[in-house]
Amino acid sequence: MDKVNINPFIEAVQEAFERMVGCSVTRLDESPAPQQLHFPDLIGVIGLSGTAQGVVAIRFPVATALGVISNMAGVTFEKVDGAVIDGIGEIVNIVAGSAKGRFKGHSISISLPTVVSGDICRLTSSKDTVWVEVPFECKLGTFSLVLTLKQVAANRQEVAGEGVNSR
Amino acid sequence: MKALIVDDSQIMRRIIVSVLKKAGVNDIAEVANGQEALDALKADKDIGLVLLDWNMPVMTGIETLKHIRTTNKQLPVVMVTTESEKERVVEAIKAGANDYMLKPFNPDDVLEKLRKYLESTGK
Repeated sequence: MDKVNINPFIEAVQEAFERMVGCSVTRLDESPAPQQLHFPDLIGVIGLSGTAQGVVAIRFPVATALGVISNMAGVTFEKVDGAVIDGIGEIVNIVAGSAKGRFKGHSISISLPTVVSGDICRLTSSKDTVWVEVPFECKLGTFSLVLTLKQVAANRQEVAGEGVNSR
Repeated sequence: MKALIVDDSQIMRRIIVSVLKKAGVNDIAEVANGQEALDALKADKDIGLVLLDWNMPVMTGIETLKHIRTTNKQLPVVMVTTESEKERVVEAIKAGANDYMLKPFNPDDVLEKLRKYLESTGK
């Protein structure tokens, strides 16, 4: 698979947290996403279609998710409920929407978000794509951006140009 | 003045309610999609400001805006959305949006942007 420019997603995560959650995030080194995740996590997932296709997910340990949604909403959540799940979906929606606007010259649509919860999550994808995981940390805990993306039309340079390790 | 928040995310509605209350707007209605917004506007003539998300199930924000403008040219409608591409902004303005606010937003920026609509209606 061509290298994918993930910078728009990283910038979108940073901006979303600064503006909506009220905290800055620090990016840690990315790595191939593990095929099987063993954490009590909440994962917000959104699909991308159009001239670039893929899936964007943000994976939160429960403690981080509760802190993030509490900060965002201005009320304290102590357990995962419908509002917390809704909030995780909204965060991935904001990140995906903001990132797609940063791919100049592309026409990308996003799906409505889905939130997955559970102890084990297996990531699979077609053979011509790979998952990339970018861990972040902030004062509320750690979380990860997980994505797979491939370009399917013109403007390959824009999507592929800078490569996975460009920032 | 009554404000209508149209967003399928309850957390986002909660955030916008908080912003409006900071601005002194306490009469607020909330719905989760465009069809519910049209129903609310039909039933409640006191609504004087609509804050409208774009990507929603049942009926999108842009479809809702076009429906609103077939019967009401004056009602202030502010899009509040992640759709940041220039083409989308132009599409919304052409369809009759009065303003366009991008998520993610800082609540204080929202307050500043809404102030002119709130002042023009005396809240």
